[in-house]
Amino acid sequence: MSKAEILASIRKQKGTQVSIRKIAQTGGSALSVSELRNLFIENLKGAGAEVVCLKREEADTYIASAWENVLDFSKPEVIAEYPATCSLEKLNRIEHAVLQGNLGVAENGAIWLEDKDLPHRIIPFIAQHLIFTLETNKIIATMQDAYQQIDLKDTGYGVFISGPSKTADIEQSLVYGAHGARELTVLLI
Amino acid sequence: MTTHARRARQFLANKSRADWHDRTLWFVRQKRDRIAATVPEWENLREQASRIKKEALANLDVYLEQLETEAIRNGVRVLWAKDAGAFNRIVLDIIRQHGAKNIVKSKSMLTEECGLNRFLHSKGIEVVDTDLGERIIQFRQEMPSHIVLPAIHLKKEEIGETFHEKLGTEKGASDPSYLTQAARRHLREKFLAADMALTGVNFAVAETGTVVVCTNEGNADMGVHAAPVQVHCMGIEKIIPKQEDLGIFTRLLARNATGQAVTTYTSHYRKPKPGGAMYIVIVDNGRSKYLGHPKYNDSLKCIRCGGCLNTCPVYRRSGGHSYGYVIPGPIGSILAPQKDVQKYRDLPFASSLCGSCSNVCPVKIAIHEQLYFWRQDLTRQKRTSFIKRFSMKATGFFLSENTRYNFIGIMARWAIRYVPRGLLYLPFNVWGRGRELPAPPAQSFKQWYRRRVKS
Repeated sequence: MSKAEILASIRKQKGTQVSIRKIAQTGGSALSVSELRNLFIENLKGAGAEVVCLKREEADTYIASAWENVLDFSKPEVIAEYPATCSLEKLNRIEHAVLQGNLGVAENGAIWLEDKDLPHRIIPFIAQHLIFTLETNKIIATMQDAYQQIDLKDTGYGVFISGPSKTADIEQSLVYGAHGARELTVLLI
Repeated sequence: MTTHARRARQFLANKSRADWHDRTLWFVRQKRDRIAATVPEWENLREQASRIKKEALANLDVYLEQLETEAIRNGVRVLWAKDAGAFNRIVLDIIRQHGAKNIVKSKSMLTEECGLNRFLHSKGIEVVDTDLGERIIQFRQEMPSHIVLPAIHLKKEEIGETFHEKLGTEKGASDPSYLTQAARRHLREKFLAADMALTGVNFAVAETGTVVVCTNEGNADMGVHAAPVQVHCMGIEKIIPKQEDLGIFTRLLARNATGQAVTTYTSHYRKPKPGGAMYIVIVDNGRSKYLGHPKYNDSLKCIRCGGCLNTCPVYRRSGGHSYGYVIPGPIGSILAPQKDVQKYRDLPFASSLCGSCSNVCPVKIAIHEQLYFWRQDLTRQKRTSFIKRFSMKATGFFLSENTRYNFIGIMARWAIRYVPRGLLYLPFNVWGRGRELPAPPAQSFKQWYRRRVKS
């Protein structure tokens, strides 16, 4: 019984460890809404993403005109077409996927998605080109703030995405499009 | 000469490559410094991270059981492995139970530590590593030379050669973008055919039963979401108590590892996909033994960012393979002897004790102090060479008493001047192999000072 043995070993050994909780939390950003927005944009661009600022009513037209064969997963008819049981072959043919972001993190450009935003968990990774829509007022300062807002108990899966897939495993040269999306476009509304 | 020193000499034989390795890792270190400086509360974050880890370790049994309870409630199966053998067998059982044939794995130092790929290979099961760097070294049947940048010891021409052979890329092609695209096509096929995905774990949150995996390539997610069965493998020390603790660690990890603000993907797995199966395998493999060790338990706080490797003057100039342990560099040099003190007895000496590792550590492990403690223990246990122990004893004898000190000073100044070079640099003068004795001064400092005070 590995479990009993491991726990017994831990209990025997742990006596000398000191338990101390955290010191005062930092955070509580002094940045204004527009400063947060600018920092968010700067970090996303730094991570290789493209950022487009739009008014809400322009979004649909923009999406339809900018890309052909685009699948907007905020539309019920599109979601219905790609249920959780959908085949990988079909998912693998997705060129442009639009998903709605829940939360943006200014300090690193990360955008939070969870099960309720994803008809199928693999979509943000298997699509060749990923497009997020995000409302500007959903940008917060730091990851610490982000984990105050989300609740992991609400979702079976959740992910922060901060750019297109990338690697530097060959001589440290940065290459976009390792396994996940080759491109990321964020439409800020 | 120690094993590390001998392997380091081989690495240094190719001077231009060694220089490239040194410069490239130093560049990563500089990127880390620049991005850390953009976070005003950086030092506070390090302190908090250290304290959270200490708390997690102090109540490790409680948090592990909490993780298990939460995970089971989420429909996840939790398995415990006390050592590498048990771990490998558990994974094999899961594979057989599900009849899995096509297995993909994202980066996990734990599976390297346990020799999982080799074990499964011996059972006729092949695992495809999907991190680009890991896939490259898997093709070449090598060990990773860095915990975050596994193929940092290779040049693009060598990778091009490997890909030509294995993936049929054009002969002589070495453009990183071209090679990466070839790997993308090759691995996407593997993902689509995968019936089981293995991953490592960066953090396991006891409060919610979530395991967190950080990648830039998206390979962990491609595998996990494509395959019906997902298996997450974690060492017992990966646990953190609360969701909010992730806020601290995700701010530190990528910044300290590669100088990025965050990894491209920070994935939180809590429940299996509809119709899928999810496992968490919790592995001890010698960790709990050091939990109560007053000197060495701090090493269990490590989050495997690789920051101490990038900054280490010895690692940068000797390469990851010179260490001979799955985790190289300063952190590896204090973890390896915990696994096998006799086999890795030379590693705590592969350091200048400059302390740079401790200064960059995001969870404030005093790595250089632990290296020093290991040296003391290894010497006491007579695991160091006779020459080293003898010369240290002799040095102690002469330095600890005034008359002896004066005498040896006179002798040394005389010897450097008059003893033939061949005798001074005899083979047992290990120190003199890479160093030159200084020109002897005419008088000692004491003599000089006395004369000065008199006049």
